[in-house]
Amino acid sequence: MPPGRGSSMLLAGKNALVTGASRGIGAAIVAAFAAEGANVWALARTRSEAFEATLAGLAAAHGVWLKPLYADVSDPAAVSAAIRLAMTDKQPLDILVNNAGAMAQDKPFQLTALEEMEALFRVNFFGAVQLSQLATRWMARKGRGAVVNLASIAGINGGSRLDYSASKAAIISATKTMARELAPLGIRVNAVAPGFIQTDMTQALGQQVQADTIAKTLLRRAGTPEDVAQAVTFLASDRAAYITAQIWGVDGGML
Amino acid sequence: MTNLEKYLNAFVTALEVSPAEAPALVYGQSKVWDSVGHMSLVAALEDAFDIMLEMDDIIDLSSFDKGKEILSKYDVEI
Repeated sequence: MPPGRGSSMLLAGKNALVTGASRGIGAAIVAAFAAEGANVWALARTRSEAFEATLAGLAAAHGVWLKPLYADVSDPAAVSAAIRLAMTDKQPLDILVNNAGAMAQDKPFQLTALEEMEALFRVNFFGAVQLSQLATRWMARKGRGAVVNLASIAGINGGSRLDYSASKAAIISATKTMARELAPLGIRVNAVAPGFIQTDMTQALGQQVQADTIAKTLLRRAGTPEDVAQAVTFLASDRAAYITAQIWGVDGGML
Repeated sequence: MTNLEKYLNAFVTALEVSPAEAPALVYGQSKVWDSVGHMSLVAALEDAFDIMLEMDDIIDLSSFDKGKEILSKYDVEI
């Protein structure tokens, strides 16, 4: 059913910006948003015909528009340019999903150069903060909006890589502070904290690490990008209108 | 609507003041122009003039007159 025609779709008629949109959890979020009636600016780092073909297919299937944007979120000038380009569409922005992220190399912090840690923070933290600054000003024009940040269970429990888990802990803290500052402007801010999710990034962890991690979850399986996308979709929707400053674990029960 | 009218209207709607009060406002010296009001004002100005202000200019936006000076950098003459 086309969006905005009395459908029960969660995001009918909403406009969203999703970062890290070309693969993994980001791609699943874009697909879920389209299926729920949202139009999406899908931001990816690298231009790709396959990515653009996927967007075109989803758009046609669901009767929405999905537009690619390209920027490295660790490059402030590129991020600004991408937002400016999206704004030329003269549409309001209702939803921002800060999904773009990088994994750290698996090594002790004593063996990690500060420059490596800074580079990771530029993607996982500062990129998300800058996008939130720009996007929430855009949302403030209409006095409404929702931001969903992608944190990690490692940001809550700590992880084997200091820079990664610390960057995600920073996102969790930023989520709560942003929620406090933006509530008067009608903007909600929440985060999801995925556990072990089957993506290209986590496949690089090795079989034994994957098996050990799954064994620690109550549900005894790895999560899927779609599991995360469903939680993000709900938090982005008006059904979550009274939910802000929350960090939702999507981790199969990692106690 | 002239640019001055659009500019004044941004203050009136974002900060919920009368047109007569707006020109004397200074950031931080009025209950209505606090940090929340500031972001509402920035959003209203960006919307009114179809611009995206740089962070330095958002920080420098401290009075009605200063705002005019800042907007001139974006080819908005008031």
